[in-house]
Amino acid sequence: MSPMAEKKRYAFVIDVARCIDCRACLVACRAENQVPIPHTRIWVKDLGVQGEFPRLERTFVPYNCMHCDEPPCVDACPTGATYKDPETGLVLIDQEACIGCGLCVEACPYDARYIDPQRGVADKCTACAHRLERGEQPACVATCLGGSRLFGDLNDPESEVSIALREAESVQRLVGDQVDPEPNIYYINADVLQAGLLPRPPRSPAAAEIWRKVAVPAVLTGIGLSFAAQAGAFAKQLIEGEEEFEE
Amino acid sequence: MTESNPSLPRRDFLKLGSASLGALALGQFVPPAAAQAARAAGVLDADGDGYIPTMCEMCVWRCGVLARVEKGRVVKLEGNPAHPHSGGRLCARGQSGLMTTYDPDRVLTPLIRVGPRGGGQFRQASWQEALDLVAEKMLAIKEQYGPQAMIFSSTHNLSQVQFENLLNAYGSPNYGTQRSLCFNAMVTAFSLTYGVEEPARVYDNVKFVMLIGRNLMEAISTSETAALMEAVARGAKLVVLDPRFTKTAAKAHEWIPIRPGTDSAFLLAMIHVIVAEELGDCEFVKRYVVGCDGLLDAMASYTPEWAEGITGVAADTIRRLAREFAAAKEQALIHPGWRTSNFINSFQTERAIAALNAIVGNVLHPGGCLVAENPEASGVPLGKPPQPPYPRISAMRLDGVPWKYPLVPLKLGVFQEMRDAILRGKPYPARGWFISRQNPVLTIPERRKTLEAMGKLDFIVVVDVILNDTAWYADVVLPEASYLERYDPLMGIQGKVFVRQPVIEPQGQARSALWIYKQLGERLGLGDYFQYEDEEDYLSQQLAPLGLDLETLRRVGHLEVHAEREEAEELRFNTPSGKIEVYSETLERAGFSPWPTWDPPPEPAPGEFYLLTGKVGQHTQTATQNNRFLHQVEDPPRLWLHPEPAEARGLQTGDLARVTSPIGEVVVPVLVTQAIRPDCVFLTPGYGHLSKGLRVAYGHGVSDSDLHVTYTDPVSGGQALSQTFVTVEKA
Amino acid sequence: MSGPIHIPLHERKRLREKKLTKHHVANILTHWFNVAGWALLLPTGLAILTSPRLAPDWWVIGMRNLFGGLASLIEFHYSVGLIWMAVLTFNILVGFRKYFVPFSRERMLLSRDDIEWLKLKPLQMMGLAKGRPLPPQDAYNAGQKLYMYLVIVGSLFIGLSGMVMTFHQAFPVWMKQWAMVVHFVSVGLVVAGLIIHVYMGAVFPEEREAFFSMFSGKVSAW
Repeated sequence: MSPMAEKKRYAFVIDVARCIDCRACLVACRAENQVPIPHTRIWVKDLGVQGEFPRLERTFVPYNCMHCDEPPCVDACPTGATYKDPETGLVLIDQEACIGCGLCVEACPYDARYIDPQRGVADKCTACAHRLERGEQPACVATCLGGSRLFGDLNDPESEVSIALREAESVQRLVGDQVDPEPNIYYINADVLQAGLLPRPPRSPAAAEIWRKVAVPAVLTGIGLSFAAQAGAFAKQLIEGEEEFEE
Repeated sequence: MTESNPSLPRRDFLKLGSASLGALALGQFVPPAAAQAARAAGVLDADGDGYIPTMCEMCVWRCGVLARVEKGRVVKLEGNPAHPHSGGRLCARGQSGLMTTYDPDRVLTPLIRVGPRGGGQFRQASWQEALDLVAEKMLAIKEQYGPQAMIFSSTHNLSQVQFENLLNAYGSPNYGTQRSLCFNAMVTAFSLTYGVEEPARVYDNVKFVMLIGRNLMEAISTSETAALMEAVARGAKLVVLDPRFTKTAAKAHEWIPIRPGTDSAFLLAMIHVIVAEELGDCEFVKRYVVGCDGLLDAMASYTPEWAEGITGVAADTIRRLAREFAAAKEQALIHPGWRTSNFINSFQTERAIAALNAIVGNVLHPGGCLVAENPEASGVPLGKPPQPPYPRISAMRLDGVPWKYPLVPLKLGVFQEMRDAILRGKPYPARGWFISRQNPVLTIPERRKTLEAMGKLDFIVVVDVILNDTAWYADVVLPEASYLERYDPLMGIQGKVFVRQPVIEPQGQARSALWIYKQLGERLGLGDYFQYEDEEDYLSQQLAPLGLDLETLRRVGHLEVHAEREEAEELRFNTPSGKIEVYSETLERAGFSPWPTWDPPPEPAPGEFYLLTGKVGQHTQTATQNNRFLHQVEDPPRLWLHPEPAEARGLQTGDLARVTSPIGEVVVPVLVTQAIRPDCVFLTPGYGHLSKGLRVAYGHGVSDSDLHVTYTDPVSGGQALSQTFVTVEKA
Repeated sequence: MSGPIHIPLHERKRLREKKLTKHHVANILTHWFNVAGWALLLPTGLAILTSPRLAPDWWVIGMRNLFGGLASLIEFHYSVGLIWMAVLTFNILVGFRKYFVPFSRERMLLSRDDIEWLKLKPLQMMGLAKGRPLPPQDAYNAGQKLYMYLVIVGSLFIGLSGMVMTFHQAFPVWMKQWAMVVHFVSVGLVVAGLIIHVYMGAVFPEEREAFFSMFSGKVSAW
């Protein structure tokens, strides 16, 4: 079984307890992908100091695009410029095709996307696809000091992500009651389902709503009527025959 | 990469001027000599892309780096998996190194001051003019006042060896490093106890780790931070003693919010428990430890109950932890610490740590978690250029070593004492200061005093990469090339020798320290001490005794050295007795307690707070606040305050508070948090820059150097940075 | 108000033989150029849009494959679009005084007869109100005039919104979102009208002569 022929199902596994909030991943991503300040493709969410002095706890949750299996951003894109790559499972953006309309940014339940101010296109974590091609790990994973970030192919049972998931005591994904786009970041050995981290429902801006709910039906109706009228007249014309221009 | 390597054309860095002058602007690509040579070495491909191995300089850990170069620009930094300090990873600062090299606020030409000091008015000058001026001034000082009137300070730098060469050749005894603001307590204590400055820590098999402070998850030493996290994930127990709930404490199984200044009480009580309950392997230990017999009596009064009253930690807890620690034997580790400049009694804390690690046999067993071997010691015998012997130095040092501080090692010195001596003008006035890669204006306590001291000097010259605060107040600024643009002397570590080499051409007129020191040395008439033609020649001379060649080293990034290690029959330590000296005659003779002992610290009055300092994982002391990448990931600088005192003062997160110490005051926003003892405040370190040449850092945050009172430990010369007590009120 | 005028048969036949120039060459060329543009833009546009999806899968996938991917398809679409806009604009501007001004004056404005006609003609086409006489129309009947308005305004909106999407770096996000809607609606309305226009112009028997006039430029005096 050649690995080239096999489709990959890339995913992140985050061993939450190991994240020390050093933020090396944030800087590595910015450098690797020339992410323009002040945008970022990646976060470490701080759940804050919890508990009562001196029994305190603090958890840090690394976070980036979830490369969902049912990505709302892909649904929202009018042209399919953003798409889920069937070979890797990564959600990617064809930035030559993208016009930066921003519907995907509104749609993402994790607010993982932004519009690049210079190029006017949508942008986000690509799991450093260009590094994967070179056989390297994503920049954030490669530099993670605590060994919290793991990445690999879930279709490969011996990948570090598959092993980690198998051996984990608990596995969670950031999904809400109503919002589950089937994300592919798996948080192990911690409870991360806290209010601040739960995804929000996908949003659709006014223009998109009007487009979908008013414009499309109206235009289709208009074209339909027009076609019907024309068809009717044509039928009539065929039935009645040519009107003789009188003699 | 081909094996048949034509020998590299000798590149003459001294003549780089014209080639690099044009290649200033970001994105401007001029086929540079460095890239051509790198291509010839097989490191870069035909497009000028590839990885060049070098070493980081964003902190003292110096991880090996693989720098990705594309079309003459360094675009990404990766950790070098072959380097023991990196293991393939870089922390946030390491990753941000690009923005230090491409910082728009870089100093790229020599600068000569034209207005008043601190006014920021400089004119650009040629190297010739600047170096001539510096040499002229330094020679004048030497002639008129003697070489001791010139102070040299630099901090723990790969080019340190040539810096020391310069000052020794010049003949000044006045060598200031920043160590007394940081390491002195640990180094002095462990030198006296183990004969080693800083024992190596091994986490592979550790089962119990106790950290006294040592905020490894924020005061990041890449490989050690990762190793500790690995150990914890593997099931090792982590206990953290810290008045603040740091990110390290957040990973610990037990966080002990101990009262500041009382760590030694806790540890002495632990020793008491271990010897009283005979938990240590005393029969074995006795062979290697001086003082094992008398220890019980010496520790008699240090009961856990006694310690409870002082530390605020329950006696049962102390007892239990002592037992847990002892039970883990050689897989137990109390970390020797890092920055141990907290209290005057920090020296005793370090002595207690050394003793504890010894009496459970930790440091004595192979496979133990503490190794009485200096990790910096490479076992790599590097060569050096020939030189005549140094002139005899007869003058006394301004920093009181050894006449005021008999036990402080000469290479550490007492930096703050030197500053005070300048102010006093005694034992003799200083006239000049040569500073390289150091920022005393921001790091020495009582900034006002440091600036006043500088005002008394005739001449100040600073070597720096950006216009940091000390450079801002200098008379001449000499631009050093950033670490990605220069060679530095080789570094040996764990049987390997690593190279730092230019990844890109130096921008502007920046030059390496090796070049600068040689140029200066020659103008000072000391050319004989700098017998190398250029950086590559120097490195070649370093490699000569090893029989290794520079080209291969440059291509691979490191070379293995098979050093002969003698296996000693008996374990011997580099102390007068050859054993670990828990009981130290040296200390006794100098008039100090020979045992680790309790030395009560001062306490704040009611309404006052301990002012704590520490580290953040996203910055390195005062050096990186201008780095735009790090600026994006930092927490805003604030004063941490516990909710109770905050409420009593009507302070909420974001409110401004006035913090007043005996020597100054600052106004800073507050962070109300449970993560600190109610009697403590913590000020985010590293901020409060005065230099307007740092457009990101200027005016951002405040500096604790405006608050810290100067307190010096008479034994180790270490600063006591947490002995300053402050009041806090709403501003 | 003019009522129906009775013209005797022989007169009608004579008139039929006589050709009047209805359309100038410029007019003809512009019209067919427009047709060509639409022939390229509409199919490619339908292959670009997938949400909402208005074309069958085989069309979308086939077109994308043909052009070597979505980005290339879009590039083709806006390139043709830009040329289309440029040429039309050029035509109008260059021929502005000679053709466009008189053309507008004579043929574009709606008169009262036109309004009457607009009320009556659809009824008659459905076979109703046959008895009522149709008011006389100029060279373009009111329906054609209305369609002309739609095409001009629609094309303007299509072009401008297309420019916003093409030069997307220069425009804010909200404008691009609305540009998509405007582009879609404008195209849709023009297409709706186009269906009638094609039928009336090419298929409907009464107007068959008009169809050929679009090539020769001539109609009979009738």
